[in-house]
Amino acid sequence: MTPPAAAAPAVQPRRVGAGSRLAPGVRPPRRVSGPARRPAPGRAAQRLQRHGGLLLELLSALERLSGHRLIDRLIRGRAWLVLITFALIGIVTLQLALLKLNGAVGRTLQREAVLQRENASLSIENSELAAANRVQARAAQLGMEFTSSSALRFLAADPGVDLKRAAAALRASGTGSEEAQAGRTAAAASSSSAGAGPGHTEAGEATGSGSGAAGSEAGSQAGSGASSTQASRASGEAATPQAAPSPAPSGSAPASSAGGTQASPNG
Amino acid sequence: MALAQRRIGAIFVAGFALLALAGARTLYLGTLHGGALRRAARTQQLTYEPVPAQRGTISDRNGIDLAVSEPAQDIAVTPYLVKEPLAAARRLAPLLGQPQDAVLRKLSQRSGFVYLARALPARQAKGVLALKIPGISGTPVMRRVYPRGQLAAQVLGVVGAQGNGLAGLEYSRDSLLHGRTGERRVVSDAIGQPVSINEVKPEGRGTSISLTLDANVQQRAEEVLGAVGRVFSPKDATAIVMDPRSGTILAMANWPTFDANDPGHTSPEALENRAVSLDYEPGSTFKAITVAGALQTGLITPNSGFSVPDQIHVADRTIHDDTEHPQESLSAAQILARSSNVGAIEIGMLEGAPRFSEWVRQFGFGARTGVELPGEEMGMVLPLKHYSGSSMGNLPIGQGQLVTPLQMASAYAAIANGGILRPARIVRSVGGDLLPEPAGRRVISPATAAALRQMLEGVLAPGGTASEVSLPGYQLAGKTGTASKIDPATHQYSKTAFIASFMGFAPAAHPKLLCAVVVDEPQAGSIYGGTVAAPAFGQIMAFALPYLGIPPG
Repeated sequence: MTPPAAAAPAVQPRRVGAGSRLAPGVRPPRRVSGPARRPAPGRAAQRLQRHGGLLLELLSALERLSGHRLIDRLIRGRAWLVLITFALIGIVTLQLALLKLNGAVGRTLQREAVLQRENASLSIENSELAAANRVQARAAQLGMEFTSSSALRFLAADPGVDLKRAAAALRASGTGSEEAQAGRTAAAASSSSAGAGPGHTEAGEATGSGSGAAGSEAGSQAGSGASSTQASRASGEAATPQAAPSPAPSGSAPASSAGGTQASPNG
Repeated sequence: MALAQRRIGAIFVAGFALLALAGARTLYLGTLHGGALRRAARTQQLTYEPVPAQRGTISDRNGIDLAVSEPAQDIAVTPYLVKEPLAAARRLAPLLGQPQDAVLRKLSQRSGFVYLARALPARQAKGVLALKIPGISGTPVMRRVYPRGQLAAQVLGVVGAQGNGLAGLEYSRDSLLHGRTGERRVVSDAIGQPVSINEVKPEGRGTSISLTLDANVQQRAEEVLGAVGRVFSPKDATAIVMDPRSGTILAMANWPTFDANDPGHTSPEALENRAVSLDYEPGSTFKAITVAGALQTGLITPNSGFSVPDQIHVADRTIHDDTEHPQESLSAAQILARSSNVGAIEIGMLEGAPRFSEWVRQFGFGARTGVELPGEEMGMVLPLKHYSGSSMGNLPIGQGQLVTPLQMASAYAAIANGGILRPARIVRSVGGDLLPEPAGRRVISPATAAALRQMLEGVLAPGGTASEVSLPGYQLAGKTGTASKIDPATHQYSKTAFIASFMGFAPAAHPKLLCAVVVDEPQAGSIYGGTVAAPAFGQIMAFALPYLGIPPG
């Protein structure tokens, strides 16, 4: 049972301060003589004071701003609603844009993967298309013929004769039509080859020794063992090689020669 | 007013009630059901995708790709989740390129994980995953493709299922080619579209390598070796085409070969690059080294005369020439051209064992050439202290020591380029940066090299051992070799097993191209270097010289 209020012992309120009474038996601290010393503020207290000051200043500035007439009018007016609506729409739009951006990144990565795949496929296809076998087969389809190396002849350069022949060819090209020129060139070439022994050219195609570099590159690009490559490769050099009709069937050169050549059994 | 206040109060109460409901629901979802939902979200929305690194490309000197990586997927299945295996197998089989019963067998396994296909090309994999069969998943990987199939297969090597190089350059340059696998964090929306993609670990592409090989010369060399294989049925054969001036390898062909896209269906022997791994006794091709030493030392000149019988006794051994002949007077050049064993031994004995041994080392035998290929053997050269009384009876003719085809090619390159032995090189550039040409060291003087080249022309001239090999317009030089092999049963030289070889270059006066052909145990028809290997040399050179724009001479 709760005792009545009157019966409760009186509680002496404790007062803090100089005039407070101390419990009996507790002695107050002795006063030290000399001027009273101020407690030196610690570093933390200093920092707090400094930051606290800044915070207070900021708060007071905010208070001043909120109390500003313009803000007050804005908040109380309809413009505030427009502002809030605009901000909300902005946030949503931003979020949507972010989502779209992420989606676009995903699609770009997928596109990158597709391109990477296509690039690899094209690279493989390119390598396959450049294979000598394929180029040779395609050349055969186009009516070209594989010329065996034994059919190649080389013409030794003769400055005196070559100059006269070139001059004649130039004169012919100046007067005749293109067809006639081609015919004359071919005729001149074949006549020269008719008398040529080993070491001379069977000049059938007159590729022109001046186009050697270009021919070389073209031959390199074509990359096959076709006769045109061989002829054009060497055509930039001092001697002009030309392809002669092949005595061996195309493509049979390695097999036939590997098995066919017989040397004296020695070494 | 009171009504308005009551209404406001009602709205407030309703709003508060809704808020309380939402709060309670949030509490329920967030705490009581949170774990399960988090797990579900993680599996449905959040994925960590591995980004396989694209392995570096290997191309030839003209930029033709010889090894390319393309995106692919490993297709796996959890058979427990496949409800109708038969129907699934019917739909999957054509896309996987496998028989229906094989697919059905995999789908019916009592296992939690089975691979349906490894490294399936991305296009096919996309088709498989588009079927949306439960339990089937794909892991992105890279697939190695060799567009030319067999071309330079032993040089390029192969890549394993885990994407690591297992042989050839794929193995020796794996750290460069491999690259670094990356990881991507993908958050997807309810319909599976990615809404957020973060790169957790960036992927690093492998470095591409360009080789000194020329795909067309390589192909021709392989075709010629294929023909040698068909005609002579040897155990194996190898050919090296090299620019002797720089030591760059233009072709390194092997027979038999294999399809690098399907290495599983080949014998382990076919995977070997014999150009660097074959240790063989070089036979007569080594006589050029014997003569080079004697020429350089000044003991002989090309015209020095020797009295050559058809056999010679060295310690307890009798060494014969290939054919019986009366004692004749031959010059050093004739000894080389006719490949006289007795004459070469006489030159070697004139030189003496210590000097001969030193020349063998000088030409790089007994040490690796330093080419960037794995599995290179260093041969076996007898140390001088182990020479017996009969050693000088067989070492000068290329018996009793082991060399590799590449060592022989490098030694002949030194003769061809004026006397400088250069390390052979097959890697032209790494990541687009050209590698510097390794420095060579002078072995013999230019005059000695020139004299030797002239002597070697005699081998392909009338009366030489490879006289029927010629190329119109080009002066060839080289040396044939036919070496007996050791019979593993008797440990004696076999009378039926030989190695036929030819080392040669052109144009003889200023060589720009060198070709070495080594045929191991030719069976049918002939066994000699002059009839088996030299014609193959001729065929390869006939294509390569004009193709590379080397003028006749």
